[in-house]
Amino acid sequence: MFDRRLLKNFGWSLFLMTLAFSAISLLNLYSASYETGLVSFKKQFVWVGIGIVTLAMVSLLNYRFLKQYSIYIYGFSILLLVFVLVFGKEVAGSKSWINIASIATIQPSELAKIAVILILARFYDNDYQATPYGFLDLIKPIILIAVPFALILLQPDLGTALTMLLVSGSMVLFMGIKKWSVALILIIILGVSFYSWHYTLKPYQKDRISTFINPSSDPLNAGYNSIQSQIAVGSGGVTGKGLRSGSQTQLRFIPAQQTDFAFSVLAEEWGFLGSIFVLLLYFMIILWMLDTSSRAKDKFSMLVCFGIAAMFFWHVVVNVGMVIGLLPVTGVPLLIFSYGGSSTLTAMIGIGIVLGIRMRKFSMSREAIDLG
Amino acid sequence: MQDFRNRLLIITVILGLAFLVLGSRLWYLQVLRGEEFEKFSMENHIMVERIPAPRGRILDRYGKELVINRTSFDIYVMPKDVKDIPYLSSSLSQMLNLDSNQIEKNIKSALKKKSFKPVLITKDINRDQLAYIEARRSSLPGVIIEINNLRQYPHGVLGASFLGYIGKVSEAELQNNSKINNNDLVGKTGVEKGWESSLRGDDGYKQKVTDALGREVESNLFLEDLQDKKSMPGNDVLLTIDIELQQAAEEVLGEEAGAIVAVDVNSGEVLALASKPSFNPADFIKGIDSKTWSNLVNDKSSPLLNRATQGLYAPGSVFKMVPSVAALNEGFINEEEYVYCPGYYKSGSSTFRCWKRGGHGWVKLRSAIVRSCDVYFYKIAEMMGINNLNKYITAFGFGSTTDLGIEERAGISPSREWKQKRFNKPWYRGETIVSAIGQGYVSVTPLQVAMMTAAVANDGKLLKPTLIKEIVSYSGEEKFKHAPTVTSNIPVQKEMLDLVKDAMVGVVNDPGGTGRAARLKDLTVAGKTGTAQVVSLDSQSKERKHRDHAWFTSYAPAEAPEIAVTVLIEHGGKGGSVAAPIAKKILQVYKKLKEEREADDNV
Repeated sequence: MFDRRLLKNFGWSLFLMTLAFSAISLLNLYSASYETGLVSFKKQFVWVGIGIVTLAMVSLLNYRFLKQYSIYIYGFSILLLVFVLVFGKEVAGSKSWINIASIATIQPSELAKIAVILILARFYDNDYQATPYGFLDLIKPIILIAVPFALILLQPDLGTALTMLLVSGSMVLFMGIKKWSVALILIIILGVSFYSWHYTLKPYQKDRISTFINPSSDPLNAGYNSIQSQIAVGSGGVTGKGLRSGSQTQLRFIPAQQTDFAFSVLAEEWGFLGSIFVLLLYFMIILWMLDTSSRAKDKFSMLVCFGIAAMFFWHVVVNVGMVIGLLPVTGVPLLIFSYGGSSTLTAMIGIGIVLGIRMRKFSMSREAIDLG
Repeated sequence: MQDFRNRLLIITVILGLAFLVLGSRLWYLQVLRGEEFEKFSMENHIMVERIPAPRGRILDRYGKELVINRTSFDIYVMPKDVKDIPYLSSSLSQMLNLDSNQIEKNIKSALKKKSFKPVLITKDINRDQLAYIEARRSSLPGVIIEINNLRQYPHGVLGASFLGYIGKVSEAELQNNSKINNNDLVGKTGVEKGWESSLRGDDGYKQKVTDALGREVESNLFLEDLQDKKSMPGNDVLLTIDIELQQAAEEVLGEEAGAIVAVDVNSGEVLALASKPSFNPADFIKGIDSKTWSNLVNDKSSPLLNRATQGLYAPGSVFKMVPSVAALNEGFINEEEYVYCPGYYKSGSSTFRCWKRGGHGWVKLRSAIVRSCDVYFYKIAEMMGINNLNKYITAFGFGSTTDLGIEERAGISPSREWKQKRFNKPWYRGETIVSAIGQGYVSVTPLQVAMMTAAVANDGKLLKPTLIKEIVSYSGEEKFKHAPTVTSNIPVQKEMLDLVKDAMVGVVNDPGGTGRAARLKDLTVAGKTGTAQVVSLDSQSKERKHRDHAWFTSYAPAEAPEIAVTVLIEHGGKGGSVAAPIAKKILQVYKKLKEEREADDNV
C-alpha cells in the first residue's frame, strides 16, 4: 500500500544533487570523448538513464526487505564473482566482466560492494553484543568480507578489492572493535598475504600487485600517468581552459581520461572553481547520507547509510587523491563521475537505498504492522 | 544509538578534514602554481626514454664468444613534433637511402591514429649517416636517435642450429612476461629461446622533460617526481660446446644433410652438436625480412630443422646394442650360443632378409655385432618378444625427449600399447623382428643415439645431456653451474655391457668389422655402423632421396671412455663407408685438441 507521506518525505535535495551530478559528469564525458566520436558519452547517457530509474525503484523498496533479502543478494553476488572468474571476459588482463547477450558488460565486483554493506549491516543488527567487539565476535563478518575480497583479488581487480576493504573496514571500526583485535586482524592479513604471494598467486597477478604497490616499477603507466594528470589539473588554473579546450585532455596525454582520470579533465577545463564545486557537491551528498544515518531508527538502516556514505567517501579520496598526485595510481573510479555502467549503477543503487531509508524514518510503526 | 550519533559527529569532522586536504592540494596546483603548469603544458613534454639492456652473451666452454652484442643507432620520428612532414621525409630519405613516400605515409598514419609512440624509420644506421643526422638535428624536429643492441656472431654460422635465432616478440610472449616491450627481439629457437629468461636483461628508463624539438630541458616542476632506473644486462651463458670441435664437425659435414653429436660420456655435456644444412643467424638480428624468411621456410632441405635433436630417423643397425643388452640381461641367450645365418630368416610364412645375401654362417653375439648380422637379431627378438625388447628401448631413452632445453622430438619406442593407441591395431610378430635391427616403427634422433652410446660406455648410466655449463651474471655472480644428472640407471649387469662393449671394439678393430674406417692408431675406438633403409630392400632406385641413411655411433678411448660421437648422413649410403670415416675425423680432432690443451696447461 502506497503511503503518501513517503512522497512528502522523499529526499528531494539528494535526488536533485544526484541529477546535477549526472549532468556535470555527462558534460565532462562529452568533452573527454569528443575526439573519439562520443561513443562512451552515448553509452553513459543510457547508463545514467537506467541508473536513475533503478534509483527510483530501489528507493520505493522498503529497506526491511533489503535486510531480509541481504543474504540472497550476498549469495548471488558471490555466485556472480565465481562465474566471472570462470567464464568472464578478459579486459586489459583482468577477468572482471560478464557479457550480457553481447549488449552490455557488467562488473559484478562493483555490485558486490553493496552486497557486502547490506550483509554487514544485517550481521550487526542481529547482534546484541556490547561494543567494542573482540576478535572472536568478528569471525563471521571477517569471513563475509574475505570471500568476495579474495574473489575480486583473483580477477585481479585490485582497485575494487581495495575500496571494498576500506568500506567494510570503516563499518567494522565504526561499530567498535577492541584494540588488540585490530592488531590480531592485521597480523592475519599479513600472514595470508605472505602465504598467497609465495604459494598461490600466478606471476601475472604478482606483477599487477607489485605495480599497484610500487607504481614506479612500471614507469610507462603509473608514474607517468600521475605526472601527466598533475600537469592537466595544474594547467587548468583558476577558471579552466573551457569545454573541449583542455590541451592535455584533447591531445589525449592522459590515459583512462574517461574512466579513472575523468576528474583531471574536469579540473583542466573548468579550473579550480569547477573542481571545488564538484568536490563540494560530493561533500554535501556524503554529509546528507551521514545525516540520514544519524536519524535512523534502527541499527540496520543506520549502518547501511553509513556504509554507503563510506563507499562514496573512499572513492572520492582514493580517486581524486590519485588524480592530484597525493596517492598512488590505482584503478578506482570516481562514483557517478567516471564512465562505466557498473560503477554508475552501484552509485545509483546506493543513493536509492539511502533515499528509501530517509523516506521511511517517520513511518516505522505503521510499516511494522504492514509487514505482519 | 546515542553512542553512534556521537561517533558520526567525529566522522563528519574527519570527512571535513579529508576534503580540506583535497581542496588545498587543488588550490596549490591550480591557483598557486597554475600559471607555471599552463606554460609547461604548452611548451614541454614529459618523455620516457627507454634504456635497453643488452642481452647476455653466449660463450663456449672455454669462454670463446659465440654470440655477443654490438651497438646500433636506430632512427625514430615522434609524429606530433614534426613541423614539416614532406621536408622531413625527403631529408631523411636522402640521408638514409629510403623511400620518401613510405616515410611520409608512416608518419601521417601515426598522426591520424593520434599515436604518441615514436615511428621507427630504420634500424642500425652507419657512422656517416649518424654524424650527418646529428649535425642537422635542429632543422629536423621530431627525429629521435635511439641506441640499441644488436646480436653479433663472431663465429658466423657455426652452431646456428642450437644457438637459435631471435625475432620480434609475439603477442603470447608479451602476455607472459611483463619485462618485454612491444618491439623487443626475443629468442625464438635454440639456446636463445630456452634460456631467454637468463639472457634477457632488465631495461632501464629515464623520465625527462623535453621541448618540442625533443631536447631535454631543465624544469623545476616535477624534479622529485621524475624517475629513472639503470638498465641491467642479461646473464652470460657458458655452453658445454667446444667451438673448435663444433667447427670440425660442421666442416666434415660440408654440403651433406646430416648431424653430428659429440658428448662427454661421464657428464652428459654436449661438446658438439652439428646439423646441416643450417641458416645464418645474422639474418635475424633486426627482425628477419619476409623474403629471406619465406625462403628459409620453403627450402626443401629444411635448414631451420635441427637434425641432431629434431630429426627423426630409423636407427638401423646402430640400434643392435639394445636387443643385445635386452636378450643377455633377460637370459634369452648367452655370449657363446651360435645362430646360423643363411642370409634370411623365416618366421611363420614371412621371410626376413639379412643385408648380406650370402649369409654370415654361424655367428654368436660378438661376431653378430662385429659383422652386423641381421638374422642373429631377428632370432633373439622373436625369442624375447616386443614386451621385453620395448622395456630396454625405453630404458635407453628412446621415445622420450632428453630434456636438453632446445627444440627436440621424442621419437618412437614401439610397443603393443603404443600401436593400439596410435593405429588401434594389434601388434604383429614381424614388427618385433624388424624392430631389433632398428627398422619398422622405431624412430630416433641422433642425440638419443649418442646418449645411448654414452650409457653403454659409462656402464649403464643414461645421462641427461646438457648444453649449459654455467650461467654468470653481468657482475660475475654465478647463477647456475651444471652438475651431471643421471636420468635413469639402465637395469643391466655390468658383465653384460662389457660383452657388448667388447663387440663394439671389434666392429672398428677386427679384420671383418663393419666400422674399420673409424680405426685410429693411437686411440682405441669402439663403435657400431648403421645403414637405415628409407624404402624397401628390393628397390634399386638410384634417386638420392631413396638412398639409405648412413649411421655411425662410437665412443673412445675404449679402455676409459671419455667421448661419444654419433654421425648421421641423410641418404648417405653405407654407414661403414660414409659415416664411420667422419666419426674418425671428429675423434682425431678431439684427441688433437685435448693434447694441445694439456700441453698449454703444462706450460
